[in-house]
Parts: sequence; structure tokens; C-alpha cells
Amino acid sequence: MSKAQLAQTVSVAPDLETQRPNPARSKRLADLLVEVARFADQDVAALLPTRFERDLRLDALRSVLLEQEQNALARLQQKFDDPRQFAEAVSAVLADAFATAESRNEQLAKTMAPILERAAQTSIRNDPSTLVGILYPLMGPAIRKSIAESLDGNLQKLNQAFKHSFSWRGVKWRLEALRTGSSFADVVLKHTVEFRVEHVFLIHRKTGLLLEHVAAPEAEGQDPQLVSGMLTAIQDFVRDSFNGAGGGKRGDGGGGIDSLRLGDLLLWCEEGPFAFLAAVIRGNPPDTLRAALRETLTQIHADLRIPLEEFQGDTATLADLNTPLGGCLQQREQPQETHLSPWLWRLPLALLLIAGIWTALRGWEGYRVNGYVERLRSEPGVVVTGVERSGGKWRVSGLRDPLATDPAKVLAQSHLDPSRVVGHWEAYQALTPAMVLKRLTAALNPPRDVSFTLDGDIIRAHGSAPQHWVERARALIQAQPAGSAQVDLSALTDVQDPTFVRLRDAIQAHVVKFNSNAPRPMPDQDSQLDALAGELRELNNVAADLGFSVRVMIVGHTDKTGDEMSNLSLSAARAEVIRSMLRARGIAPGMLPVRSTGTLEPLNVSGIESTAMNRSVTFNVSTGD
Amino acid sequence: MLQKKVCVLGSFGVGKTSLVRRYVESIFSDAYLTTVGVKIDKKTLTVGAETVTIILWDIAGEDEITPIRTSYLRGAAGYFLVVDGTRAETLEVARSIHTRVALEIGPIPFVLLLNKADMQESWDISDQPASALENGAAAILRTSAKTGEGVEEAFQKLAQRIVP
Repeated sequence: MSKAQLAQTVSVAPDLETQRPNPARSKRLADLLVEVARFADQDVAALLPTRFERDLRLDALRSVLLEQEQNALARLQQKFDDPRQFAEAVSAVLADAFATAESRNEQLAKTMAPILERAAQTSIRNDPSTLVGILYPLMGPAIRKSIAESLDGNLQKLNQAFKHSFSWRGVKWRLEALRTGSSFADVVLKHTVEFRVEHVFLIHRKTGLLLEHVAAPEAEGQDPQLVSGMLTAIQDFVRDSFNGAGGGKRGDGGGGIDSLRLGDLLLWCEEGPFAFLAAVIRGNPPDTLRAALRETLTQIHADLRIPLEEFQGDTATLADLNTPLGGCLQQREQPQETHLSPWLWRLPLALLLIAGIWTALRGWEGYRVNGYVERLRSEPGVVVTGVERSGGKWRVSGLRDPLATDPAKVLAQSHLDPSRVVGHWEAYQALTPAMVLKRLTAALNPPRDVSFTLDGDIIRAHGSAPQHWVERARALIQAQPAGSAQVDLSALTDVQDPTFVRLRDAIQAHVVKFNSNAPRPMPDQDSQLDALAGELRELNNVAADLGFSVRVMIVGHTDKTGDEMSNLSLSAARAEVIRSMLRARGIAPGMLPVRSTGTLEPLNVSGIESTAMNRSVTFNVSTGD
Repeated sequence: MLQKKVCVLGSFGVGKTSLVRRYVESIFSDAYLTTVGVKIDKKTLTVGAETVTIILWDIAGEDEITPIRTSYLRGAAGYFLVVDGTRAETLEVARSIHTRVALEIGPIPFVLLLNKADMQESWDISDQPASALENGAAAILRTSAKTGEGVEEAFQKLAQRIVP
């Protein structure tokens, strides 16, 4: 480059930058001119020291060569220097810069975290409502869900607690709650929660394809792939139908079906960003199961985030999901009541029952035996001295008057099995008025008109009775043992039986006549003897009916002809002959005693002693032995 | 295990459900179509050495007042677009659905099925308008639910496209 060119460059360069006068530039130009002079003349060079620390020529050269770059640098410098321009330039690349930095490593996130935290703190300090507004769409559903789950849990506890409050089990659980310090509701829930997770589906949210399915042993179910698709479709349907226009996107956390109950079956869905977990549960699961499902889903997302996000239908790209899902197949059953063999309780129960029945029957029998004994004791003439049970039988012993009531009759009235009660009775004679009366009655066979009454310890007879009976009664009373009840017969009136009286009078009216000095009756007397024999027979029967014996004394008579001795013999002979003749007519001679009177008891007819009348035999009826 | 979600789409009455009924495993009744708007069926195919299970989302047909639920389309690897060959208007609906699917989930393989091929005497569409959809279709097949014509082939064609 020539000096002229250089000078021109020096002179032109300021024009390129600005046309305005600039003192610094003028000074610089002066310095340049001095330097030019030093360059042109060695003397000047020696005289004037250089005004520049560097070689201006190089600068000039640089200006020529790097003019465009310098201009660009200047513009950049200006952008850096001007905050507005610099902000504009950075904003254009900021998003890309963040994306690039994030894709390289996590340094950006680490760097940003404290800044964002401070920013959030500052924002909250300045105006909390701003952040609340931002977070509300996120936190609102989460809080609502949490509260709902908590309420569900409490309601579940409350329901169970109320249901079991008034039962016997409820009392036991209340005691357990007191003992363990837990709330009653918790204890109730612990004992009543019964559930079984039958199926767990892990389903890809975007495609609805089944990622994994596990089922409890013997759990029934349809094709899990189809069920997965339908579950996804129904979730979408619910979202589309009830979440409004903005809620349709999967993965946005919009509410799908969270819980669905069909009778005893319960469907619980837990949603994650890329997959959701559906558990089919039978029974009444606790909240802890929900937490377990959520934890499993979270863990799966943590382990398989990328494969899940990029899932294209090939489950081979996923790791083993069977194990974590298998952990969700929880169940809790109420401890089964220990079922002992029915005989273990039936047999003792039967024995107890038999023992109870036996005891009851024995008690009942004992009660009846007591009743029987009491009745016996109330019977006159019976003294019970002992009641015992031996050899499976009741033994009742004591004393019994033969005339007292038969214990067997009392036993029959007591509704006792006669074979189970044995009586041992010693005979004795009771002296009580009732038994004495009984004995008299039995021995005397009193006529119908006679009655006895008990007046204290005295037995009184009333009515009328034949003399012979009264005499017998008196004799019997006198034969009673000392100490027996007193018997008063004074009120009895003497009466005879009319038939007896008639027969007696008829018999006593007969006079069998004899010829003089003849021991045999006149021949015409046979008919009279026949009639007499008939009457005697009838009398004997009547006496037997009335209960006494009768005798008919045959009295022989003679007239006064002859000596006394002969007459006595003759009268005796006549009586004996009649006795024989009556005997021949069927009359027992035992009832026909004879007596000979000779002339000692002459018969008078109308006060006139008749000779013919006294050649006779007469009859005298008497009763008693 | 390889699974793919495939949707069956088309206007009302084009015979979507009848078309696949004989060829799929199903546990759900057709009532789901009128209630939830979709019924899930399944068909297992072999493509090359790969066995693939097609999870078939038979989506309730579209008409003027009931559009298909686009949320049911998400995650689909492909779809059958069913047209009633005896009703030209169903082709328009299919075209509209095709456009919406492309907008919603991007271009994915599909097979266009011209159904009711057994009713040739009532055939209402020419090959020309059908071919307008051809640029995206894996295949265009004439099918018949009555005779079974083309159904297996349709599954096979689509499976070949969606299995990597």
C-alpha cells in the first residue's frame, strides 16, 4: 500500500463511521500525521518520539482486511450493549436452548430448581392467590379425591361399626377396642373386612391394549384382552360424556371411572400417565388395598417409563409385569370358625340331654313318690317309717292296719310305675277312732239303718238295729284292746226284722199234739210238722241273711196223768221224736235243742189248763250263739 | 405377544358389525354399540412369522347427528373404512371420516371395504370415486358379510401393513 493510499484510508475511515466532529478522532488524526512525518524523514523520526504504542499501519491494514467482520462485531457489540436488543435476541433462542440443555443432561434442571423455588417463594410472598390459581386445577381434583377416599374409608368404618354395635360380637369387639386402645370402628373393620382381588389388569392408556393380566386361582373371567379394550372404551366414554369438552384427552388426569360396584364385585381403577390398573375385587376391601394398587402402578411407571410411553403393541418390550401385579392379588378372609366334628359337640350334648332328661324324670318320680308317701301318711291305719331308693327302685316301708287303705290303690292314683315302687308293710292294729270304726264296721256289718259318727275320740252309733246285732256289737266293743276309741251305742233303738218276727211267731205258735202216754205225735200232725219244717228253713235263711244264728228249742210236755218221773221221760222222748222227725224233714238238728218239762210247765189256753193241750211239744225261738 | 388396535369405521348401516361377526372372537353383545358406542372383538392372525392379535374396535356408525367418538380412535394402528356399495352416500361419509382420522391421529394404514358385494344388481358406486381414497389405502376390497368374500383378505392386508 502506498503512503497516499494509506493517507486516504486514514482520511476516509472517519467518514465511514460518522460525519460528526469528534475531538478524539482529531487527536488521533494528528498523531497519525506525526507518525507519517516520522516515517518520511529519519530526522523527524529521531526528533519526535512515536505517539502510538502500536503500529498504526497494521491497524490500517486490519481495517481494510476485516472491515465486514468488524462491522458485524460492532453490531453484535451493540446488541450485547443494548439490553432491549440483547433480550430480544436471547428470547428467540431460549426455548431451543432449554430443550438442548435438557436433552444433554440434568444440569439444567439442577440449576433451575433453586431458582424456580426462590421464584415460587417470592411469588407466594407477593401474592399467594396467583400460585393458588395456577395449582387449583391440579390440586383441586387431587384433594377432592383424597377427601373422598378418606370419607369413603370413614363411612365404611362407620357403617360397619353401626352394623355391629348391638350384637354379641359387638360387645366382644368393644372389649377388644378397650383392651388394645384402638377405636371401636377400627376393630369392627378389622374383623369384618373380607375381600379377594380376583383380577388385575394393566392396560395401556393410549391403545387400550392389555399389558398384563393376573388372576386369583379359580377366579372366573372373560378374555382379558377384550375386557381391557372394553374397560378403556368405557373409561373414554365416561370421560367424553361427563368431563365436558376439555376432558377428553387421555393422560390428562381427567376423571374416568375410579370405582364401580356391581353387587358383590367391585372394580377399582388407578390411572397413571401411560397405563392404568384395573382391579376386580370381590367383597369389601380396605383403603390399604387402594394404596397398594397406586404404589404398584407408580413403581411400574418408574421402572418402565420409556417402554410404556413408546409401547406399540409388543408386550415383549416390557419387563416382567407379572410379579408386581401378582402382589396386588391380595385377599383377606374372616378366620373360619373352627369346625370341629359335629360329634364332638353332639355327643356331649346328647349325653347332657340324656342326663338332663334322666335327672328331670328322676326328680319328677321323686316328686311323685313324695306325693304318694304323703297320701299314705294321711291314710288312717298306715304309718310310713322309711322311704329309700335302692336297686333302681323306691322302697316304702311301714306299718299297716289290715283294714287300712291298700297302698297299691294309693300307688295307682299317684301315676307311678308300680314296678318301680316296692312296699314293705308290717300288720298292726290301729287304735285311732277312724280305724276302730272301720274295724267295727267290717266286723259287725251294720244294718242299713245304723250309722256311725266320730265325735272327737268317741264313735257314736245312730239308728235302729236288731237286738241280736246290738248284742254282737257290744261284745265286739268289749273285746277291743285297751286304749281303743270309746264306742257309744246308747242312741240305737232295738228293732226286729218283720220276716223274722213273723216266722218266729209262726213257729212258736205250733203245738204238736200227742195221744196219751204216746211218745209219737198223733197221726194228723204230719202236715203241721211239714209246715213247721218249711218255716224253720225260712227262719234259718232269714237269720243267715241278717247275720246272726238262730235256735229253736223243742219243749216236750205231758199231762198230769202218771208219775212225775215217767212224765219227764215221756216229754223228753216226745221232744226228741219231733227233733228226729224235723231232721227227717231236712232241718239241721244243731239248731234244734230239746228240753223236757214233764208237767212242770203246763200250757194254758185262755187260763184253762187243758189236758189234751199238754200232751204236746212246743217251740221257742232264740237268737245268738 | 403382539397386539394391535384396529378400528372399524363407516356410516350407519354399512354392515360393519355383520362383516366382522363371523371372523372374530367376541364376548360382548351388540348392545354396547348403541350404549357405549363401541364393541371390542378380537382376531388372531399370522403375518409372516409373527402372530398378531388384532383388538378390533367396532365403532358405532356415523350419521348426520351422531359423529364417531374420536377418543375411541386414539392408539389405533390401523382401521377398516367400510362403505355400503349400494349407497353412494356412504362413500362420502367414509371420506369425511378418513379426513377426520388423519387429523386426529395422523396418517395410519387403512383398508377400504366396499361392502355388500353380493348385491351387484344394486351396486351404486363406480371404481373411480373409490380410488380417490386410494392414495392412503392399503387395499380396496369388495366384501360381503353374506358370503364372507374379502373379509379374511382384508384382515390380512391390514395386518401386513401394521405389523413391523
